[in-house]
Amino acid sequence: MKEFTEKELAEYNGKNGKPAYIAYKGKVFDVSSSFLWKNGKHQVLHEAGADLTAALQQAPHGEDVFKKFPIVGILRKKETRNV
Amino acid sequence: MARVAREMVEKAGINVDQLVELLVKNAAAELTTYYYYTILRCNLIGLEGEGIKEIAEAARIEDRNHFEAIVPRIYELGGKLPEDMKIFHDMSACPPAKLPEDPTNVKEILKVLVEAERCAVRGYTHICNMTSGKDHRTYDLALAILNEEIEHESWFSEFLGEGPSGHFMRRGETSPFVSKFLK
Repeated sequence: MKEFTEKELAEYNGKNGKPAYIAYKGKVFDVSSSFLWKNGKHQVLHEAGADLTAALQQAPHGEDVFKKFPIVGILRKKETRNV
Repeated sequence: MARVAREMVEKAGINVDQLVELLVKNAAAELTTYYYYTILRCNLIGLEGEGIKEIAEAARIEDRNHFEAIVPRIYELGGKLPEDMKIFHDMSACPPAKLPEDPTNVKEILKVLVEAERCAVRGYTHICNMTSGKDHRTYDLALAILNEEIEHESWFSEFLGEGPSGHFMRRGETSPFVSKFLK
């Protein structure tokens, strides 16, 4: 499965014909087919190409909404080094 | 525009442009739902369909009322509706409640109805959360609409076998919560 860095994920912002991908709990979903993600924007406040794990906690829906979207990869977070 | 009314909302920390965009999208959802529900209602026929027709009609009329109630708030806050109806349709906060492929399948029509109501419940919950304690007028309006959308969801979900909702169909006039904004 493809691994995305945050920078790579940001490319899939749903604008100018690009696919709209969003990350949730380490998984990357393709939400391009969703009416609610037209032009990479969701309910005014959320943009595609980003990790929305934290944002979902404030949302008026649960993670079950992702069930209908294909998983296209996993999100590789920046490595943190121990000092 | 109601200049001071907008200033008060801005001062409370709300991004008014974002809020107005949300209101326009929800107004679009209401008007398009009114349109699509007209078609759904026409297709609710036969032994199964007739029993649902009346509540579909109540929900349809109330969704139109919601549109009427939201529009003045959009303009008060300095917003406006798009001039092009096609743009307005496509910016809806909820997907089109289209007639299912098999228009004789009442259960499929019910699924469309309940999903539309659930989208609305989520949308107005979101606006209530955003405006609570900050924009009293929009909050009051969104809460009134939310009350009616929750009842619509309840009516339809019972028919889908999701258990009792504790609600009865409307008696008397429509929009018991929103009517105060329509006077």
